[in-house]
Amino acid sequence: MNPTAQTLPEKAWDLFKRLWSSVEFKLVLAWLFVVIATALLDSNHTYWNDPRGSSELIIRRTVLLGFFALGSAIIIISGGIDLSSGSVIALSATVFGSLLILLDPNGFRDGHLSRLAVVLAMGGTITVGAMIGTLHAWLITRIGLPPFIATLATLVGLRSFGRGLTPTVTTGGKSQIDFPDKLLRDALKDVTTMSIVFIVFAILLWFLMSRTVTGRHLHAMGGNEQAAKLSGIRTDRLKWLAYVLGAVSASIVGMISFADDGSAKPDIMARGYELNAIAASVIGGCSLQGGVGTIPGTILGCLFLRTVIDAVSKVVGSGADVYEGMIVGIVVVLAVTFSQRGQKAIVNRYFNNAIGWSIIPVLSILAGLLMLLFFGKQTWYTPAHAIVAGLVVGGLLVARGVWETMSEKKS
Amino acid sequence: MAETDAANTDAANTDAANTDAIDSTDSIVSMRGIGKRFAAVKALDDVSFDVKPGELIAICGENGAGKSTLMKILSGVITDYDGTLAIDGKHVRFTGTRGAEEAGISIIHQELNLVEQLSVAANVFLGREKRTAFLFRDDRAMQREAGALLSQLECSVSPSELAGTLRVGDQQLVEIAKALSLNSRILVMDEPTSALTESEVARLVRVIAKLRERGTTILYISHKMDEVFHLSNRIVVLRDGRFIAQLNTPETNAREITHLMVGREIESLDLGEKQSRGKRLMSVRKLSLPWPGHARGYRLKDISFDLYQGEVLGIAGLMGAGRTELLECLFGAAPIVPSGQIHIEDRPIRPRHPSEALAAGMALVTEDRKRLGIFTAMNVGRNITLCELASMRRGLAVNGRLERSAAISMVDKLQIKAAGLQAAITSLSGGNQQKCIIGRWLLTKPKILLLDDPTRGVDVGAKAELYRIIRQLCAEGLGVIVTSSEMPEILTLSDRIMVLSEGRQTALFSREEATQEKILEAATMSNHAMF
Repeated sequence: MNPTAQTLPEKAWDLFKRLWSSVEFKLVLAWLFVVIATALLDSNHTYWNDPRGSSELIIRRTVLLGFFALGSAIIIISGGIDLSSGSVIALSATVFGSLLILLDPNGFRDGHLSRLAVVLAMGGTITVGAMIGTLHAWLITRIGLPPFIATLATLVGLRSFGRGLTPTVTTGGKSQIDFPDKLLRDALKDVTTMSIVFIVFAILLWFLMSRTVTGRHLHAMGGNEQAAKLSGIRTDRLKWLAYVLGAVSASIVGMISFADDGSAKPDIMARGYELNAIAASVIGGCSLQGGVGTIPGTILGCLFLRTVIDAVSKVVGSGADVYEGMIVGIVVVLAVTFSQRGQKAIVNRYFNNAIGWSIIPVLSILAGLLMLLFFGKQTWYTPAHAIVAGLVVGGLLVARGVWETMSEKKS
Repeated sequence: MAETDAANTDAANTDAANTDAIDSTDSIVSMRGIGKRFAAVKALDDVSFDVKPGELIAICGENGAGKSTLMKILSGVITDYDGTLAIDGKHVRFTGTRGAEEAGISIIHQELNLVEQLSVAANVFLGREKRTAFLFRDDRAMQREAGALLSQLECSVSPSELAGTLRVGDQQLVEIAKALSLNSRILVMDEPTSALTESEVARLVRVIAKLRERGTTILYISHKMDEVFHLSNRIVVLRDGRFIAQLNTPETNAREITHLMVGREIESLDLGEKQSRGKRLMSVRKLSLPWPGHARGYRLKDISFDLYQGEVLGIAGLMGAGRTELLECLFGAAPIVPSGQIHIEDRPIRPRHPSEALAAGMALVTEDRKRLGIFTAMNVGRNITLCELASMRRGLAVNGRLERSAAISMVDKLQIKAAGLQAAITSLSGGNQQKCIIGRWLLTKPKILLLDDPTRGVDVGAKAELYRIIRQLCAEGLGVIVTSSEMPEILTLSDRIMVLSEGRQTALFSREEATQEKILEAATMSNHAMF
């Protein structure tokens, strides 16, 4: 077709199709949908009544996830995986607290830390992050452990190390370190400061990944490590860089979380966060096979994930944090399912075989139970609602299965 | 077996199939208007032809002509296409390879599909395992039957051996045995000889003759004219995804087929004046690569040679002779650091990583394009510029304009056929992918180019182009080392020929004194007498 002969609607349609092929565009649309749906469905109308407070909460959560999700994304793009980030966050908070105690014991007791001690402690914590990254890179490149095993070992090991460290540095052998300095705490947990630091960090990483030679090499190594090595790329050094960035980004989160939570509790802090980071990267378009993914996509993945979690908490009301893991699980499955669509066949056949038919009652029962769990406390709720929800979902899925079978027969 | 009897009756009809008339009534396969697009590239466009039972049809065409795509459609690998396909006159549309197998179609891919960690017998019966009365897996029966099939195919490997430990030629026979166990009536072979030694090719030819006696219909993809003319009774030519012609083999000749394939006639492969040899670029002395845990103890032993500016040094040898290992040693890619001396322009080097070899002015185009060459997640442009990105920077960032012009310079120089620099590398034909990789290395301005079987799976037209490119690079002052599994290629390209056998250097010929017989003699020379 002659491009000059295109009419305006055709051009717009072409542009839309091009945009539609990018993960980022789809995420923005999905995000808008979630925000609007929440604004309409939330009976307290929080988004209308308190837009500032609502957005601050989402931004705070997104930024805290974003920092180490970006590190995780770089590792995933380069063909690895980092399971240790939750433990690195907990250990870094502990190390930051410990360094503050050691560098300025009097200031720590009085609640007025000297500026020098704070700067040194921050530098020290980031150095510890870099040391952890170096350990990962050494285990993977020199010992030859698979990244999954190397970071599984530190996932378990570093948290335990943090727990051992805490009673050693605290007076009276406590199992947690309380944040000493109120002014410093307010500065660190301030959402504006946090966001600015994150934006700078994200821009630097975006530049690294999409504009520099190193970034291209990281993509190449993730896509085909052997070919990258045979192209003269120093893959060992790149892995070091990726794992150091991953661990350092988690260290930064550790320091901010220390302030945000008000205390460092190495036994429970940031537990399971590594999977949130991996989930956000995957939602943002990173492939766990390596070689594919972007920084903006990952940031949008974090924003989308945190917004959905927030949306559910608004709709469900109190006690919604229980469902966080479930939401992450569902969103990851849906995101990857939809990004795979259409790659294999014209019609995706999800339900028209033995496994497919037998999952329909499972999903229907799940739908009914979710209705009960989410809305059971609402005044309008009756058990009939849950039954109807289950039947509706079951009916829709059966219809889809029948349609799949018919379309198969037709071709 | 009852099936064999039925097949023999089919074979009796074969003679009738050789006649000129084409009507689809008694065709075993008929294709009508087959088309397939990959993004912007039209891989196939309105291809129609018929295959009679018991025929051996050769499908010829250049890289990117659409041969492999067509065969993938026939064997159910690609399910999304235009047009219709009929088997035994009945319209079919396969939803996967299972469906094609049930219809009696098996394909032997160019890249073999075996589970390397499983035994030969397990591979033959993969997905159709035999069971005993108590539903346990019946390994013994499978091994017995696989052994019987393999011995029919003159393959002496044990059915309990792991598939990954076999040589390529034997692996291929395992795939053929699998097709036999499926009672396939139609066998598609995609460039089956591209990785075989001469004796393995001879064995394959005998196997094909046996299959045809049983009445198997064979669709045979190849670029090698001697094979095509020796084996086939009809030739179908494709070009740029379109059906060009079908000819009865006895009524045509290699020149006509080549002409139809490329749309122009290839004059003799005269590569012009031999270059006068320049100064010495590289000298290798007593290079040895140990092989711990192996009876021989070494992969390479005492290799010594020189390479001069403007010459092509050919390395001949059978599979396992150490050709690839030698290039890997020179390029710093060997798993163990080799012993011996390597000098480049009289400076000693000891590359421990490819980046050091690259800095010393070497470039290596690997043998296994798919596994060690291309980056599937990257587009054509990025695949070309990868090694030389550092020189395309403005400040810290890679400059898009510099990168594009570098990539375009190689697309033009090597005449890479692609739907633009943004096209996915996987949408290109094998030969064009190979050109991208050569382009990637030429951008680094190497002094020494190492080419490991560069024309493997590349057709006649593109081969001649590659030969010309290699010659042109020599004229520009490069030294080239090339290995090949094809004797005529080594003889055509090389100024000098080194022959390896079992890791040792057994001969070094000048172009004038080298003949196929002499090379083969040196390549099969056993080392055991030397101890």
